[in-house]
Amino acid sequence: MKMAKTILDVQDIYTYFYTESGVVEALDGVSFDVYQGEPVGIVGESGCGKTVTAKSTLRILDKNGKTVAGKIIYKGVDLLELPDLQMRKIRGKEIAMIFQDPMTSLNPIFKIDDQMTEVIALHRNCSRREALEYALEALEQVGIADAAARIKDYPHQFSGGQRQRIFIARALALQPSLLIADEPTTALDVTIQAQILELIKEMQKKHGLAMMLITHNLGVVAETTKRVHIFYGGRVVESGPTEDIFIDPKHPYTRALFDSIPSLEKDKHRLATIPGLVPRLINPPKGCRFHPRCKFATEICMRERPPDVIIDKQKGRRVQCHHFEELDLHVDDSTMKERTSIKEET
Amino acid sequence: MVSTFEEYEVIDLFSGWNPKTDPIINLINLKKWFPISEQSILFSRVVAQIKAVDGVNLFLNKGETLGLVGESGCGKSTTARVTVKLEEPTEGSIYFKGIDIFQPMTREEELAIKRQLQMVFQDPYSSLNPRRMVLDLIKEPFDIHFPDMTYEEKESRVLEILTKVGLEDYHALRYPHEFSGGQRQRIGIARALAIHPEVVLLDEPVSALDVSVQAQILNLLHDLQVEFNLTYMFIAHDLSVIKHVSDRVAVMYLGKIMEMSPTGELFRKTAHPYSVSLLSAIPRPDPRIKMDRIILEGDVPSPINPPSGCPFHPRCYKAQEICSQVTPTLDELEPGHFVACHFPEI
Repeated sequence: MKMAKTILDVQDIYTYFYTESGVVEALDGVSFDVYQGEPVGIVGESGCGKTVTAKSTLRILDKNGKTVAGKIIYKGVDLLELPDLQMRKIRGKEIAMIFQDPMTSLNPIFKIDDQMTEVIALHRNCSRREALEYALEALEQVGIADAAARIKDYPHQFSGGQRQRIFIARALALQPSLLIADEPTTALDVTIQAQILELIKEMQKKHGLAMMLITHNLGVVAETTKRVHIFYGGRVVESGPTEDIFIDPKHPYTRALFDSIPSLEKDKHRLATIPGLVPRLINPPKGCRFHPRCKFATEICMRERPPDVIIDKQKGRRVQCHHFEELDLHVDDSTMKERTSIKEET
Repeated sequence: MVSTFEEYEVIDLFSGWNPKTDPIINLINLKKWFPISEQSILFSRVVAQIKAVDGVNLFLNKGETLGLVGESGCGKSTTARVTVKLEEPTEGSIYFKGIDIFQPMTREEELAIKRQLQMVFQDPYSSLNPRRMVLDLIKEPFDIHFPDMTYEEKESRVLEILTKVGLEDYHALRYPHEFSGGQRQRIGIARALAIHPEVVLLDEPVSALDVSVQAQILNLLHDLQVEFNLTYMFIAHDLSVIKHVSDRVAVMYLGKIMEMSPTGELFRKTAHPYSVSLLSAIPRPDPRIKMDRIILEGDVPSPINPPSGCPFHPRCYKAQEICSQVTPTLDELEPGHFVACHFPEI
């Protein structure tokens, strides 16, 4: 395996939100990395810190939020230390982001050409006319038919899938090195989701982009990414190659999360559930944040934060659990088959 | 044991219905069109019709779960809303236990029917009045259907149903914003089930929830179905959820039923090209699988001006000339397996 170059190295960041009801510890010592040209999955349930991680990276947190400690090294530079003016040049040009809701992420009162050429002209230092050419080229790449005419339309004249394509086109026209896609297909229907995923995969390969794909859909992760970071309660509980994580998870949360997907298998058996709720981060559980919902939890889990153990440095396999060595959470072939098969064997 | 309403006078409209042979709900050629009108100074005139539901034939048997699946805008929710008498149909009829629910009737008869048909809505954040306590929210159905009931009895019945859906007594005095999404959905379910309906229409009950919470709600719905002997119409766009919960599945596209069959059959012997592409679009949660998927071109056409003939023909990989001219009827190809296609796969 050739050693890939790290493009983004997030080291032990803490992001807090200061609210009326107290301090929300949204990120509590998050570390992970993204290699050049590689799609990485950021997986977890709502409120686990996925989007906050993306926003911390781009420094676009809401006013009451602040990254109080840690380093975010992008191409050798700590983004948290950069002056605002230089950070502006990173956003969009170097690191682009695609948002979840294509209905709200484009400005409804401007035509597509205005929205696209402005950013392109600004970031690529070219005239509006050149920018328009880049924009058309990008729109054609993402499969907007009759781009030259449609670029004069307003966002509401496009369907959800098309809007997401336009947004992708706008992000890619700036030729970024890292693309952050925050739940890019969650608001879309399955058949449109398949189209957009195919497009993202194609664009990612073609432009050699590094990508952070934020999602809670495990199917999307399995098909799109090479490596995965599992988030829970503002921490990264497990990291590793996608295949390893799916087949041989080390953290009880990862396994429980996978078991709770309704399988496409025949029997109407009960779903495995994780008892309780996603923790609120205003007053998070002490020790391991998963312990109140974990069936393997012991006394140490309530008391001490589990260390970040590197299992396999080469693969980047890491886990935060006191008991991972004693647990066997391996998913056997028949369970895997149950999860994935559509046509059942009879 | 479930406390019943035997001591209350309930009109018996359904003496002619035989649960062994007749479906409990029968939709016949149901159409629901919404007019779009254009205003001039004096007059408004109807310029077009949104054909949300355009000739649906569908039935539910007592005690089963029928999954209704389709992409957004295909008319699933409208079908459900008409079925519970929240909307008047434009054409066609709905029989509940052999009675046409839209025939002229007295207020008492209408209430007797509506009591048996309840609905759980998709978004637990907007379907509960934020200014009312849970106690009042769940008590409301009793106020409408059992005005003679004493306050004490209503209250004890509210507490009973709260425990049934997995909430605690003290939750009755709280307001909706104090609950998580999953708990709110439990309140919505309690509200629907409080007056012991026979048929419950679940409109995307889990799609706003996280995977681990989704599993809890699906298990709860299953338990309640067994306990109260309920008939479900389960609307979802997620096929793995549909497969998990349903006995039979109906696939809907642009206001029409494309295919309806027992669940196992639909996944094993998928007949309609639209169902085939829908199944192939689901991302599988196994990184080792490499799928050859059918990616549909374009978007779902507008229901204002749906394509002639088979509504799916512009995106269909098997379309021939006849498909754009003749609308296929929903035919029973094999016992229990209905397909509306000129060139089915079986």
